[in-house]
Amino acid sequence: MGSAQRYFLAILIIGFGTLYATAQNCPARPKMGTVVQDPLNLISTNGELDADFVMGHSVDDQGYTHYCFNYKTSKNFVESPTLRLNQGDILKLGVKNDIQSDGSAGMKMPPSSAATCGDSGQMTVSSTNIHFHGLNVPPNCHQDDVINTLIQPGTPGFQYNMQIPSTQPPGLYWYHPHVHGFTEFQVNGGASGALIVNGMEKVRPEVTGLTERVFVIRQQYLVPWVPGPYQLTINYHQAVFGLPLPKIEMKPGEKQFWRVANATIQDFLPLQVQYNLKAQPLELIALDGYPLAQPRMVNTILIPPAGRAEFIVQAPSAGESASFITNNYSTGPTGNPDLLQTLANIELSTDADKDGYKAPATNTPVDNSKFMDANKQPATTERKIYFSEEFGGTNGPIQFYITVDGQPQKVFEADEKPAITTQVGAVEEWTIENRALETHAFHIHQQHFRVLEIDGKPAPNQDLIDTITIPFWEGPGHPYHSVKLRMDFSDPTTAGTYVFHCHILLHEDLGMMHKILVQPAGAH
Amino acid sequence: MKKTGVAQVPRAIAGILFSFAFVLSAVASTPQYVVTNDDVMGNFSQNGVTFYTVGANGSLTFLEQVPTAGFGISGGYFPANRVRTLNAGNNQCVFASDAASGDISFINVNTLSLGGSVTGSQNDTGASNGIGLALNSQYLYASFTDASTIGTFQIQPGCALSFVSDVQAGGLQGGIVDGMAVNGNIMVVTYGDGSIESFNIASGLPVSNGDKQNSTGAAKGNSYPSGVDITQDGHFAIFGDTSTSTLIEVSDISSGKLSQTIAYLSPTGINSSNVMLSPDESLLYISNTQGSAISAAFFDKTNGTLGKGCRTGLLQGYGSVWYYLGGLTLASPNGTGQAVYAAEYGPTSSIAVIPVVSSNGKCALTGAANTPVSDPNSPGLLSIAMFPPRAF
Repeated sequence: MGSAQRYFLAILIIGFGTLYATAQNCPARPKMGTVVQDPLNLISTNGELDADFVMGHSVDDQGYTHYCFNYKTSKNFVESPTLRLNQGDILKLGVKNDIQSDGSAGMKMPPSSAATCGDSGQMTVSSTNIHFHGLNVPPNCHQDDVINTLIQPGTPGFQYNMQIPSTQPPGLYWYHPHVHGFTEFQVNGGASGALIVNGMEKVRPEVTGLTERVFVIRQQYLVPWVPGPYQLTINYHQAVFGLPLPKIEMKPGEKQFWRVANATIQDFLPLQVQYNLKAQPLELIALDGYPLAQPRMVNTILIPPAGRAEFIVQAPSAGESASFITNNYSTGPTGNPDLLQTLANIELSTDADKDGYKAPATNTPVDNSKFMDANKQPATTERKIYFSEEFGGTNGPIQFYITVDGQPQKVFEADEKPAITTQVGAVEEWTIENRALETHAFHIHQQHFRVLEIDGKPAPNQDLIDTITIPFWEGPGHPYHSVKLRMDFSDPTTAGTYVFHCHILLHEDLGMMHKILVQPAGAH
Repeated sequence: MKKTGVAQVPRAIAGILFSFAFVLSAVASTPQYVVTNDDVMGNFSQNGVTFYTVGANGSLTFLEQVPTAGFGISGGYFPANRVRTLNAGNNQCVFASDAASGDISFINVNTLSLGGSVTGSQNDTGASNGIGLALNSQYLYASFTDASTIGTFQIQPGCALSFVSDVQAGGLQGGIVDGMAVNGNIMVVTYGDGSIESFNIASGLPVSNGDKQNSTGAAKGNSYPSGVDITQDGHFAIFGDTSTSTLIEVSDISSGKLSQTIAYLSPTGINSSNVMLSPDESLLYISNTQGSAISAAFFDKTNGTLGKGCRTGLLQGYGSVWYYLGGLTLASPNGTGQAVYAAEYGPTSSIAVIPVVSSNGKCALTGAANTPVSDPNSPGLLSIAMFPPRAF
């Protein structure tokens, strides 16, 4: 482990130690072996959803540090509700940071000449903000800016105020903190939730009338930057071999519409529903919030960290056993192994669904222009971007790079200039290559991209997604794995400066990230 | 299983290769060994130094393992050389660091027995990333990666060590001691943040020369000097960089201080954290620590420049039985060294044996037929040395 990483760890250790001593203010999480409930739904009314979150933290009796977006109901606090809105709705979300200030050292904010948003000060483990992952909204202050937005403890709070684009495809998105250097810590603590743009049934009638289930799969390490045992959770229910597993209730033979977010800090999840240990067909409806051009039947759905999948699951007949699992997945010789784990046992009950969510029938049409990808404009610019890592010893990489080919390899700095500059209206083709001995997950804010090629061959499905897996390099003598992506910057809504990065959050925190500037049309 | 091949070797050189008899220089007065610091973790058993005898064809034959006085960590920094040898007067010694227990063991080569061990100050520990060693005939220097200190130990008759003192050493960006080399009155150190520094050791104790600086490669933001070697005349310090390619940097130290480094880039490898000059200084051997190959670059000791050399193909066992290449040593203290031995780190560690052929400005590195040699005593081999050592 190199000194830079050690320095980083020292910062976090200071923060961790201090936090441990602070008051608890996250709700108690579900007991092992209980029935998985959906998160609380906060549903927009009259074109608006107005809510307030308080970011809190606590340490549970097993030693896990929890971070939580608390929402106060008339009865109590609940964490990480699902935000449900329609295309064109206004989201007003107040966020107050109630993490007790620990005074730990932190990363410096951009210099004073850079724009800041929210509170001033340093980025520390106690700072927070929110990224609305997958929304094609402006990267501006009070909307979906993560470069300059900071919400510090002890301040009155911060107001997000944005309009869900009228073209935002109906589907599953999610929200999580994105403070550079400390994202992993808060997401590992559970600070994340689902955001759903309504209307899927209008573009995919296959889901009409089905009970929806929202599952947010998270991952918790005792100490997130130390490789070792971890737990997966599903809606905060711990899924651990040998211990009572979570339960998902379904009626025998029933079809449900599952909306699953991979909110882990680094796990690639090859998801399956198994009957009697045999993988069952799943009808895949949408990926990363965007409905597929055509639903397709699959047995396994690989969701990279931050990815989402929406699919129809049919329960087994009475008498059969079933489970929802994530399979083994190799992330390469220097990656962490992602291990087989049953996330939940599916239990058959004629009483299931009594609290399940069903989309209300409405007459409002859905704008499908975005995911139908009507823009056939040919690409005018090609770029190559690659992942790479440096090792100073056997304790893992000491530097994580994402580099635009031809530029120096360097880690992200908050005040850096954009690595890529383009314009609204541009259509580009990006080849993303993995030159590291571990798998990475490429993500870009504000945009979805179409997958054109995988390892130089046409991608079979050409999906529109916002996060993609790029497998590890097998080493000298082997080609780099790569994907070619169509990046369509024609939407003026997303003009501005935002970031692209690896969504393994340690990598992101350590600088495997850079900026892109999309200038307004006509700007030079 | 990947097979070792001949990479970029002209047919003429290949012909030379097969026509040469592999004859090692006889060293009549002293035994000849290759030694490894087995870096055995404390929870399993005691650490040890394994001795191999060197055959006429460069082959290695296990002789015995001499237990050290402490415990290792089975890993850590690539350039922290955990085993060094000394052949000075009546002192024929092997020094091996025990990272987990924070001590340095000394072994008498003539008796193949542990003489004892010594520790530095209370803060001098290296359990996270190892304890690197460098020496001259009078002093042994130890870089403690936890404390970022350099400890000075005086070498006594019979290979015993006595702790003198330690100094704090750190890079410009807070990096801790990584690689270390000594020659004459100068010690050159790399830090894990891309900066380098030299020390005057005329008195035995390191005193900074005040030349701490970021290397040229580090200033460009994409590499970190890690391993270091110094030419016999003390004119040049040569750095192997932690990098996503093969990057070597050379600094003129003839003034007694580091000058700005000149960087040499080769895209053919990954990471070059360990480097070693051949005894005749005609070749610089480079261990592509994050890859699967050994490279050799021609070195002109008169002006410190590097030229294109040769490279092995994929070394056998990479990715299946071992994952990283560690330190280097040679079969002979003369000429080109005749064969390169490279530590192969993994759950089943091994030693690559790579004969060297160099003639008329061309070279070839090929894997010997019986390579790699299994090193069953080591759960994580990173450091290797020869006895008697190279003369500088």
